[in-house]
Amino acid sequence: MERTERLLDLVALLLDSKRPISWTELREAFKDDYGSGSLEACERKFERDKAELLELGIPLTWVKAGDDTPEGYVVERDAYYLPEVGLTADELAVLYAAGAAALASGAFPGSQDLAHALRKVGFFAGGPPIAPSVRLELGAVAEVKDLPLRLDGLWGAITTRKSVTLDYFSPHTKEVSHRVVDGYGLALRRGLWSLVGYCHLRKGVRTFLVHRVRSLAVNQSRPKSPDYEVPASFKLDEYVATWPWQHRFHPPLDVEVLLTGELAPLARSLFPAAPSADARGARVTVKATDLDGLVKYVLSLGPDAKVVGPAEAVARHRQLATAVLAAHQERPS
Amino acid sequence: MSGAEGHQRLRRLLFLVPFVSRNPGLTVDEVARALGTERDALLEELDLLTLVGRPPFQPDDFIDIYVEDDRVYVDLHQRLSAPPRLTAAEGVALAAAATLLKPGPGDALRSAIDKLEKVLPQQALERFREMGKRLDVALEAPMGLAPVAQAIVERRVVAFDYVATSSGQAERRRVRPYELFSHRGQWYLSGFDVARGGERLFRLDRMGPLEVTPETFEAPREPPRASMPGAHQATSRVTVRFEPATAPFIRERFGAEARALANGRVEVEVPGDNLRWLTRWVLSFGGEAVVTSPEWAIRSVAEAAAASLESPPS
Repeated sequence: MERTERLLDLVALLLDSKRPISWTELREAFKDDYGSGSLEACERKFERDKAELLELGIPLTWVKAGDDTPEGYVVERDAYYLPEVGLTADELAVLYAAGAAALASGAFPGSQDLAHALRKVGFFAGGPPIAPSVRLELGAVAEVKDLPLRLDGLWGAITTRKSVTLDYFSPHTKEVSHRVVDGYGLALRRGLWSLVGYCHLRKGVRTFLVHRVRSLAVNQSRPKSPDYEVPASFKLDEYVATWPWQHRFHPPLDVEVLLTGELAPLARSLFPAAPSADARGARVTVKATDLDGLVKYVLSLGPDAKVVGPAEAVARHRQLATAVLAAHQERPS
Repeated sequence: MSGAEGHQRLRRLLFLVPFVSRNPGLTVDEVARALGTERDALLEELDLLTLVGRPPFQPDDFIDIYVEDDRVYVDLHQRLSAPPRLTAAEGVALAAAATLLKPGPGDALRSAIDKLEKVLPQQALERFREMGKRLDVALEAPMGLAPVAQAIVERRVVAFDYVATSSGQAERRRVRPYELFSHRGQWYLSGFDVARGGERLFRLDRMGPLEVTPETFEAPREPPRASMPGAHQATSRVTVRFEPATAPFIRERFGAEARALANGRVEVEVPGDNLRWLTRWVLSFGGEAVVTSPEWAIRSVAEAAAASLESPPS
């Protein structure tokens, strides 16, 4: 009997039964699979099947004998069936929009899980709802051919805590380094995916841009046993920069930015800090650990954005703006 | 069949039986589409299911699923009347995808996620929370997107103050929203600008607070899909040269479009239609990017840099 068929038969049997089914009964019911050969081999086979069903979320458990019931295996129906989630049409539509857009982007880890989840949430609605049109472009780099595969591989490794071996390309050196990494998490920032994990080569936690991973292999030995623990104190957000001034290049520096004119009312969306009113516009204080990242961001906002303190930040702002001016006043060679 | 393929197949089949049971008479193609599979693969799955049942495998113990006139029916589902609950991994994937639209307090997306968490089995909830810490997505949406998405579904006109990149002036806009999309780290709304009588693209970070009005509209049969910014046929092209320190990142971003120059520099051509965008993009490289042609673009960047050097108003 094919394994898929056997597992489905097992689910059907256990779901239908009003009482626990003993191991002896299972051996009898599935003679060719659990009833022939050595007992040890049959038990191992059943344990593998059980593990597969548990991974699919099927609540297969063994229960002790009660006053009126024998010991054995059960699948609790209430715990098995997907209940009505009770989503309103609006909730279903926006959730579906987000999920469908992530899937269509082609670069989302756990894409199979996401596809199944969407089917399940749409089950009681009688199929996919009318979802608002949402499109996502993830990747934000020219070469994304292998990105979906890498993301799914890394996500699988992270969730089972298996080490990965990867070849990592550095655009600075144009060299590829061979790394063994214990993946702690995946993060998406500004359209780019990063893997954060313990690098055995560098002996510390490092961040890797997934699109620079040239080859990837997940440790296949003892697949059911994790290779590592993630430190309890680890926080993914501390290793990936959401904003260009958050790369950790120097000690934190409080930088004052003044937004005037058209930018003043947009302060809250341009900076993740609460603005304070200034007679000239809106003022925000940004804790920068990459001053150049902040200054370049401010420059990109145009002349209505200015760095106004402290002195070293103001000087750097002037220095970079002067460099742009100089480069465009000379005839470029 | 590999273990992973077998796992996916089992997942599909545990959904297929209840799905057909709940939606009898759908065509083979409709069922295949709902399951994200091909017609031939679905027919194979249906063949397998006719062999599935519960011991002792009497005739009534088998799943009775069949195709008649190209439509799929199930007469005996053998208690596979609903799919299994969400697994922790499915819940995490869905919650992470929802995060992309930046759920906000009280909006439809936040309440959907809260409801989903409540139906996760207790044993999956802990794993869901643990796995949730391992996947952190942010698309830097400047506002919660659920209200915009909801307005698209309900075909409600939205109103907001908008600072156009071309004029720099804030103006009130009334828009029939068609589509939300993110492109190179920016979110855009495409829709029909009522006052201007045409389709427009709006950057979300230049929009003030959104008002969803009671006014509804008839959506075009197929709302036009907005072109990605810069993807349209530009009427003018601008050449930008990058210094060696920045060149590797430009190669990564532009691929083969980045032309190698002497001394480790590279150059790319970009659309020159939106001068305001162009000058600010060049400024963001802090001197590592230089416009080399045409002359008017060089002059524009120089003027923008000079304006950035002016003292702030006192």
